[in-house]
Parts: sequence; C-alpha cells; structure tokens
Amino acid sequence: MPVVEYRGMALVIPENDSEWKEYFAAARAHRLLLRACAACGRLRYPPSHGCPWCADLGWTWREVSGRGTIYSYEIVVHAIQPGFRDWAPYPVVLVELDEQRGQPTVDEALRIVANLVRPDFRPEAEENVAIGKRVRVVFQDLADEVALPQFTLTDEPLAGRVWRLA
Amino acid sequence: MSGLRDRYCVVGVGETEYSRDSGRSTRAMAVEAIRAAVLDAGLRPAEVDGMLSYQLADSTPAPWVAADLGLRLNFYLDVLGGGSSTEALVGLAMGAIEAGMCQTVALFRSMNGYTEVRIGGTGARAAQPVRGLDLAQRPYGMTSAGQNFALTFMRHMYEYGTTSAQVAHVRAAHSRHASQNPKALLKERVTVADVLASRWIVKPLHLLDCCLETDNATCLIVTSAERARDLRQRPVYVMGVAGRVSKPRTDFHWAHGPITRVAGYFARDIVFGQAGITPADVDVTGSYDAFTFTTMLQLEEYGFCAKGEGGAYVSSGIIELGGRRPNNTSGGHLCEGYTHGMSMVIENVRQLRGTVDDYCPGGREGTHSYDYAPGRCRQVRDATIAMNMGWASPPTASALILRR
Repeated sequence: MPVVEYRGMALVIPENDSEWKEYFAAARAHRLLLRACAACGRLRYPPSHGCPWCADLGWTWREVSGRGTIYSYEIVVHAIQPGFRDWAPYPVVLVELDEQRGQPTVDEALRIVANLVRPDFRPEAEENVAIGKRVRVVFQDLADEVALPQFTLTDEPLAGRVWRLA
Repeated sequence: MSGLRDRYCVVGVGETEYSRDSGRSTRAMAVEAIRAAVLDAGLRPAEVDGMLSYQLADSTPAPWVAADLGLRLNFYLDVLGGGSSTEALVGLAMGAIEAGMCQTVALFRSMNGYTEVRIGGTGARAAQPVRGLDLAQRPYGMTSAGQNFALTFMRHMYEYGTTSAQVAHVRAAHSRHASQNPKALLKERVTVADVLASRWIVKPLHLLDCCLETDNATCLIVTSAERARDLRQRPVYVMGVAGRVSKPRTDFHWAHGPITRVAGYFARDIVFGQAGITPADVDVTGSYDAFTFTTMLQLEEYGFCAKGEGGAYVSSGIIELGGRRPNNTSGGHLCEGYTHGMSMVIENVRQLRGTVDDYCPGGREGTHSYDYAPGRCRQVRDATIAMNMGWASPPTASALILRR
C-alpha cells in the first residue's frame, strides 16, 4: 500500500483503492487518465464507479491532453497545513480541460483542482495567475508509484477574457 | 403550501456562553444549553422525549446528555454534519413527531470549536492522513472551509463584478448588530475599510471576511402547534423547511454546473413553496455567515435579489438593523460566534417573539427602544416572518421559514 509523504502529509492509496490507485500510477507515467463511460462515452472526474449522465457502471480509462483554461483560482496566503507554510503564498487553480467543455450542457466541463506551478514546481507568482489563462498538465513525481498532476502556464494564444483579483 | 405548514413550533431556545475558552466538555455545555431551552419553553425535562444532535465526531451523543437531565427518550438520532444541519433537524423533528415516534424534540449542537477540534482545520485535522476523495484537493494545500469556498467567490467576482468592498459590508453590518448583543464575542463595530485592511487569509478572503472559531452549545425545542399553545412562550410556527438540499454532486461540486450557483438555488422552491410566501414577505433573514461571501451568495440564490446582484444587495443598507430586511441581527457567525448555524435560528425565534436579549431594560420581556445605537436595541419592529439559510458548503443548503 503506497503511503507517500508529501509536505508533512501521508497520502494513502491502498491496494483496494478503487478510485485513485490507477489514476496516480498513470500520473507517475506522466499520463493524465480520466474515466470514460462505456455506454455514453462521456468523461468524468474525479474517478467514480457510475456515470453521472447515464448511470452505467461500465468504464475505461482514457488519456486526455491535459490542456485547459483556468476557470477559477485562489491564493493561499495563510497556510493551514504546516507543510505548506514555506510554500505560501501559493495558487490553487480550478482548471477546465479542453475535452468536453460545454458538454453535455453549456455549464458543464471537466474541472480539476491543482496548484499552478513553475517548471521547477515552485508556486507560480501571484501576478501571473488569472482566470482565462491557458495551462497544461505537468507531473510532480513523489514516489515510484505516485505523481501529482499539476498545471503550468503555456504561451498559447488566449481566447476570452482574462481577469485577476486586483 | 405544505400540509404541515403552521402545525409545528419552535417553543424553546437555549445556549451557553460564546467563548474561546470554555474549559469544559461538550457534554457539560450540551446539558446546560438543553436545560436552558427546556426551561425557556416552560416544559419539565421529562416532557422532552425526543433528541437530535449533529456533530463531526467532535461532540457528545444525544442519549448521554439526555441521561444527565433524566430524560427517557422515545426517539434519538445523532447526525453527521455541521452547517445546514439545524434546519434539516427541525424538519426531522417534525417528521418524528408526525410519525408518532415522540412528542417533543430537543435538538442541539455542542462544540469546542476553538479549544478542542478547531473548525478552521488547524491542529489535529491538518495532520490526518489523506485518502479517498481528499486526494483531489488536500495534496494541493486546499483543506479549510475558506480554501474550499474561495474558488466559488473568485469566480463570482469574475462573472458578476462583485467586489471585496461590497461583501465587506456584511461584516460591517453584522458587527453593528453585535454591538447590541451582550453575548457576542466581538462587539466592536468595524468598517468596510477595516475589513479591506485586514490581512489576507486566502485571496479573495481577508481575515475579517471569516467567522470566529468558538466554544459553545445551542439548543432548540420543537413540538406540535397544539402542544405549543399550553407552553410559556409565544409560539413560533414553522411555515416551511428544506434540509440538506444538494447540487448534482457534493463530493466535488466543481464538476457540475456553474460553480457560482450554490445549493440554495434548489432549496428555494421547496421552502418558499411550503410556506406559500415570497422573499418579499420576509422581515428578517439569517444567513450562514461563515464568510461574508456566503451571506451574499445565499441572499441572491434565495431570491432576495437577482443572481449576480448580491454584492449590490448586501452593500445597500437593506441587511442592517433599521434597513428593510436585517440579516443576522445577533452579529452571526462573523461576530457573535460560530455554532454551525443554530444560533441564527435562536436569534430569529427571539426576534419573532419580540424578546431579543439586547441591552434594552426589559428587552427579554418584550420592551424595546428600537434605538440601534451601539449598546442599545437590536429588536426588529413587528418582525412577523423570518428565514434561515443553512449552508454546509456551496453544494449543500437547508432553509427554514418561521412566523410568529
């Protein structure tokens, strides 16, 4: 059973973890895998056992591009977890992936929480974090079996309004 | 309208001191709050035969405190949960009585939210192993309520132009109310500028956008309207109740729908439908002000203003004592103290009785000056209908409409 120490936390992913084990193992291979419904084909996150759109129990892992747009963010200035104190201020971003945006309704999308990091996995500077900015997934290796999907800014052209808290 | 409208009443309210230094157990506090509520109702302890509590593995079970007061219970249930539980349990109490399982229910929350299990997530909670669904957020340094809600607030600012200054009016208003509340932990009035000058916790939240971890216990007594007629207090009738109404998913609500939509959107039609009224009929509101932003989101989702206009609504003066529809007249979680929602229901019960415990001589007997200067009155004149809005997180809401 992998127990990975990260920033003072024990990340526990038991052998019988039916949701996350393969997700984090795929991340360690630097692939972002989401579950796709065997019946309707729609992707979902976080990993789960029934399809929220058609309630089918069949699913397969499907690799996604890991590219997306910042849908919302926050800057943690006062860290709660002791292991994050030397990391603050750090951004938490809610990333909307390019796949399945606006499906099956205009308000839906695949959205993932992560940190916005620089190439060295330090937190991105606050002045560079904004809703609407383009990002791509990167993988922070933590152990032989586990990596943490994170996001980093890209230089892709922006489409839509970019906004940050003044 | 619901078949149960006006058929059940809140007949007793009780609470301990709001402190950050209780120095005693949740059991001791629960017993004190329940006893106060029973006496407030004019009941003998043995006349309470049902008990409900809510907790997050941080409190004392209902049957233990019942035994301390010599109550033999015909029904009890300890429910897992924090915010949004109060209103839901009022509905469950009505259901238990309606089903014939018991006749009078005490529901309580007791917590050492500052000195024992800190609601903000520091201490023991921060050291817990991360597994299951927690893996989706906690490895990213996202664990506290503020950290969990801030993404919703930030997106609201992006979509609707809501500003920090607008929501800071919530803190300013609630601090004005707390200045007339002898029980409040923070009685000093603060300004919008004070809120904006306070240090950042998690942007867009300043320190003064956040509520106060508190030690206390609170209790409500619910019984039938028929039984209520013989009791000590003017009955406060339940017009409508909605419990733990959720968005399409609560585990990771980012995954579905617009994230600026909170669960009050779904609770609104249930609770107003039962009550047969509209938001315009409500005289006093009780929001779940864990944060300034949560008040704004709830008020707009329940229809007190249009979606997206919450910032303008809360900064207009409407929510202040003397305004058209005061909110959290006790000072609420932001200033009186944090109770996972029960204290705002207690306050509204007292408002509807006309016996708010302010600084007016004779206030508890119903004699008020309606002078809203600091250290004076906080009774709303002729308060007839009050609404409480419970919140567990953006995707879970409860609601309660009461009348005198």
